[in-house]
Amino acid sequence: MLKINDLHAAIEDKAILRGLNLEVKPGEVHAIMGPNGSGKSTLANVLAGREEYEVTKGSITFEGKDLLEMEVDERAQAGIFLAFQYPVEIPGVSTATFLKSAINAVRKGQGKEELNAVQLLKLMRERIRMVGMDEKFLQRSLNEGFSGGEKKRNEMLQMALLEPKLAVLDETDSGLDIDALKVVSDVVNQMRSPERSFVIVTHYQRLLNYITPDFVHVLYNGRIVKTGDKTLALKLEELGYDWVKEEADAIAL
Amino acid sequence: MNITYQDTLSESKKRFEDLFNLFEQQLNGKRDQPLHQFRLAAMDKFREPESPPRRTEDWKYTPVSRILQLPLLEGASFSASKSALDAVSIPEALKIVLINGELQGPIPALPEGLTILPVETAIRDERFAPWITATLEGALAGAAHPFTPLNLAFARNGLFIHAADNAAIEKPVQVIMVNGGGDPAFVNPQILVKAGRNSQLQLIESYAGEGESASFTNALNRFYLGANARVIHYKWQQEGSENFQIHQTEVRQERDSVYTAYTLDLGGRLVRNNLDAIHLGQGVHTDFYGVYIVNGEQHIDNHTFLDHALPNCTSNELYKGIITDKGTGVFNGKVIVRQDAQKTNAFQQNSTLVLSPTATMDSKPQLEIFADDVRCSHGATIGQLDESAVFYLRSRGLNKDQARALLQHAFVMEALETIPLETLKDRFEETIVQKLIKV
Repeated sequence: MLKINDLHAAIEDKAILRGLNLEVKPGEVHAIMGPNGSGKSTLANVLAGREEYEVTKGSITFEGKDLLEMEVDERAQAGIFLAFQYPVEIPGVSTATFLKSAINAVRKGQGKEELNAVQLLKLMRERIRMVGMDEKFLQRSLNEGFSGGEKKRNEMLQMALLEPKLAVLDETDSGLDIDALKVVSDVVNQMRSPERSFVIVTHYQRLLNYITPDFVHVLYNGRIVKTGDKTLALKLEELGYDWVKEEADAIAL
Repeated sequence: MNITYQDTLSESKKRFEDLFNLFEQQLNGKRDQPLHQFRLAAMDKFREPESPPRRTEDWKYTPVSRILQLPLLEGASFSASKSALDAVSIPEALKIVLINGELQGPIPALPEGLTILPVETAIRDERFAPWITATLEGALAGAAHPFTPLNLAFARNGLFIHAADNAAIEKPVQVIMVNGGGDPAFVNPQILVKAGRNSQLQLIESYAGEGESASFTNALNRFYLGANARVIHYKWQQEGSENFQIHQTEVRQERDSVYTAYTLDLGGRLVRNNLDAIHLGQGVHTDFYGVYIVNGEQHIDNHTFLDHALPNCTSNELYKGIITDKGTGVFNGKVIVRQDAQKTNAFQQNSTLVLSPTATMDSKPQLEIFADDVRCSHGATIGQLDESAVFYLRSRGLNKDQARALLQHAFVMEALETIPLETLKDRFEETIVQKLIKV
């Protein structure tokens, strides 16, 4: 589904990713962990298509197509979803208007029939219950004045509505209390299917108590330096990142 | 050398004289009526030499020379298309249509408590004559620039709208004006509104476009709100690309009255709005809301003036706009809080998105405060679209144009969200979206 080959990326001429390789097959859940500054968020942002990040080398294909040639909205329409670490507040655009526009933009891009107002409302009501949000949020301006937890629930609502093929969660668990964390993991677990894949970028092991990943990768200095199963995350939780860094630095020397 | 406003005006005065002579010749049998004597007095005032000083500042950013150079013709008639009229019609409104100043059909049947008459009829009715005479004479005496006497001299089919004391008029009154047609039309609409004590009235003043024909609309409105009256006044302007407009509204408010203006300017080549409210009693509230979307070579100019003369009055002003291409926007918000006007609470905000390097916005808050126990705040911002918001929307599948249009739409709608007439609010939204697609 997703193939990343020897990816190098920079922001403002500062190299962040330096030869990252990753393959995600349909139905798999990959956790990307790593210390601060290792390039986790850069990876998420490059996948989403943020212009400030420049890919200097390497390739990314999504379902065989060159992802780097696709516009931001084309990626969304192709079935890629990024849950933002810091969702943007947009005053004046109601959450409902935004969700309706997004659902139909993605449907249209996928050649599906657009939903009418009644179908949209029904769908939104059904999924908003799934993320434990009050329907009143639909009338509020998008993310404006939402608490951190509410913003992340709203990201999960969008993911549940847009039903992507590949969802990338960029530190969705940061700053969440245990209830919100359970909501995030519940939504991911409910949406897991043999066709849908997840890349979960996280600093902490905590979320992985609720979502069992197929693979855990450790990112360090812009490269994946270690890959294992869920036990790797537990080891990192217990021992921290230093031992991985030391191993990686020893090899680099 | 720059051609100044005064230079242009003195050159064009001669042409307005000629137009007035032609206009007079059409007034067979009406020349001995009181209104005609008033027209002559207005023309005399128009002839008076301009006293330059302060006034030039008020018109500094408005290139009126472009209007005054038009080869104007008065009273040219044409038929407006149904689509032009439908574009600005609200189904439930009591509608009056004027084409190049000519009244189309009879005034509709009106609910109890509401009177609408042509000014020339109403001025001969002893119930209304004193108020109308005083209002017109007050307008002439207080004229701050020559466009006021010009309107008072040339206005035909001015409308007098009267809500009786205690009358709550449920249906909105809509005056639809279509100007242009062929030769550049010179049109002088006039609406005089008297809202009695405790009355309620909504007036929608609409300007529709008809193709690319040119016109100069020189409109004059006077509102008088009796004690505790509630008036909502909508100006909905979507004229064509060659329509020019000078639009003046003066509002006088007695105690506890509430006047709310929603000014939506989407069309026109050059539009200058002057909106003034004067408080005559305590407990008055005034709302000025405005939206302007300016593209191509449009120039849209809003000058507002709030005269807080008495204590315990409040005002709230919010203008939002979008400017692109070679468009120009102007906002000048003057607020005077006079010495007696203690406990005044006045708020003003003007925010504009400027989307192209060749677009211009001049925003000037002008607060003059002479009382010491007041709350006055103002803000003016000029900025661009938030690119992180555009990215967020695009990451959810909206293309660049959709994302930008959605954000621009949300930006301006803030100034219109309190509109109580849902059908009108929806139409405003539709027409804004239509314009944003072009922008």
